[in-house]
Amino acid sequence: MAEVSDMPLFDDFGRCVPGAARSPAHPRSRRYFTLLQPKIDYVASHARLLSCLGAGTTLDAAAFEARAASILSRLESDPRTAAIAHGVAVPFILPRLTIDDMGQSLDHRFLPAVREAFEGTYPDYRFANHHRGGLEGRTGIQPESRHARLVAAMSRSELVGIYFPALSEYSLPAALEQVTALPEQFLLAGGVDTCAALISAPGLLLRTDSYPPLLWLGALSSEQPAMGYHFEAYGFNLTFNRRPHLGLAAEYWSCGLTVLEDG
Amino acid sequence: MTIPEAEPSGLTASEAAKRNDLATRKPYIAEKLRNIAAMEERGEISPIIRLEKSYLCNFQCTHCSAEYYMDRHIEKVFKIKDERRKIDLEDIRRLSREADELGLARFVITGGEPLVMKDFDEVVAAIDPDRHYIITDTNGWFLDLERARHLKSIGVEKVQLSLDSMIEAEHDTFRNKPGSYKRVMRAIDASLEAGLNLILSTVLVRGRGRTEEFRSMCEFAKRKGIGLYVSYAKPTGSCTEHPEFVITKEDADIVRELEKDYPVFTHMTPSYGSYKGCITVKGIITVTSTAEVTPCPYIDFSLGNLRETPLKEVLARGMRNPWLGPHRPDCLIGEDPKFIRIHTEKTKGVTHLPLPWGQGFSDNDSLLDD
Repeated sequence: MAEVSDMPLFDDFGRCVPGAARSPAHPRSRRYFTLLQPKIDYVASHARLLSCLGAGTTLDAAAFEARAASILSRLESDPRTAAIAHGVAVPFILPRLTIDDMGQSLDHRFLPAVREAFEGTYPDYRFANHHRGGLEGRTGIQPESRHARLVAAMSRSELVGIYFPALSEYSLPAALEQVTALPEQFLLAGGVDTCAALISAPGLLLRTDSYPPLLWLGALSSEQPAMGYHFEAYGFNLTFNRRPHLGLAAEYWSCGLTVLEDG
Repeated sequence: MTIPEAEPSGLTASEAAKRNDLATRKPYIAEKLRNIAAMEERGEISPIIRLEKSYLCNFQCTHCSAEYYMDRHIEKVFKIKDERRKIDLEDIRRLSREADELGLARFVITGGEPLVMKDFDEVVAAIDPDRHYIITDTNGWFLDLERARHLKSIGVEKVQLSLDSMIEAEHDTFRNKPGSYKRVMRAIDASLEAGLNLILSTVLVRGRGRTEEFRSMCEFAKRKGIGLYVSYAKPTGSCTEHPEFVITKEDADIVRELEKDYPVFTHMTPSYGSYKGCITVKGIITVTSTAEVTPCPYIDFSLGNLRETPLKEVLARGMRNPWLGPHRPDCLIGEDPKFIRIHTEKTKGVTHLPLPWGQGFSDNDSLLDD
């Protein structure tokens, strides 16, 4: 059962305050590895989600914008969650889809869509999937992540959501612990929502002046508990890979939260 | 243009061919190298050990990171002698054994200029070329064909040869050594002829990545079929007096783009299927002439002295340090302004580098100010 206090859950920069995490998480951040809020062009974003991912067939760009705005407005109206809007927020649409094998869906639909969106937007740069052997049958959903709710909702209809990379400098176990203490509308981001956010805003990790964080797909389980999957910039390029996290925190690492329209 | 995606083994075809050759000649070392990926998945580390037994050098380069360790600098600037006990061959044998027990597989003999060391062959033997993959740095001055063949015969596998410009006069000026460019070109041919693995090493100062000269060096490396290792200029050693050399992220990203077309790489380029980012402790350590262990060639803070602390504990200190242990994509001493400031302030005016454990790094370090 989640414990909910009246204290703000996010700091002035939209970072989730790691009050409930028992595993390693930095109490404060010096904000060295940061993201900038991408400019969201809902028409372009909707077009990319539709053409690359097949998402957005039941709503147009205006409806996408209105429904994303309602999510933000709901969060901003609650003093405990309002400050999340000070951080980076990326609206996305997920297609209606029944997912039986998360790895297969990522391999065959979502990661190729990220590639198409990124390379279509930045033709001089590349998306590289460094993960060897594929994900099919190799990844599932962390039970404490609340991510199963997103997958269940996807099977019923298209979804509008917002991705917040608000769990910066959390270990993956700490991110799981923290999400269980947040209001029920917060889900730990996994594969499909992070991919959809990167299709909506392909330049999220593209920074020329400083380094962006690595984005873990924290809601996904791996064959080995100490391993995880992630997106990471390499210069101006975007990469997908897996690596050991060993339950540790790093100032370079961030997990994300997803909030869906219906909460 | 493509970013090379990993082969099923995680190695490129060229890397795999070199590993196969090594496996036939030195199976024990090849097995240790094969194990590195599994070690990394378990959270274990396998850093390359840079061994600075002597700082003697026949050059005096503008950007030298080791200059402040050299007797000539200490005597000229501070008017004192370095009386600290220096490592000997027995220390190196002990280090070799400790490293082997931890699964570490690679040594780089550096300095100074290794090829002026009178006991170079004894150092190679003390490291043990049947237990460790041995590399030597060199400025190339003394590396003719006869010397290259000799290096190969005593078990050296690879040479890292410094080349700082494709413009002869610029290289010679940067290295303060007329004729040095011609010697590098001779050394390239000699190393290849002798069957040594060879990489060129060059220093990237701010803005160089955009120059025609740098592009021509990349072309040269590609034409010769040899790797070009790009070392960022760091604000340490002689470079402390040249803060204008320190690169920006733009410079680093230019090199990352060139990796698509040329055999060019930095210490943070994914290699052998490994994606370490900054390699402090995780991918490299330096053992100084006084047995101090620093986490990279350019950070003058010690993690411990091998005469007092076992290598295993020294590495553990590094991995639990918040600056050094965690994964990060940028060069700590070459790009992080806060760490650079801390390092510059703590090392300013210090006569004997590196700062001992507890004075530079300690277990109380924090990324934050308080």
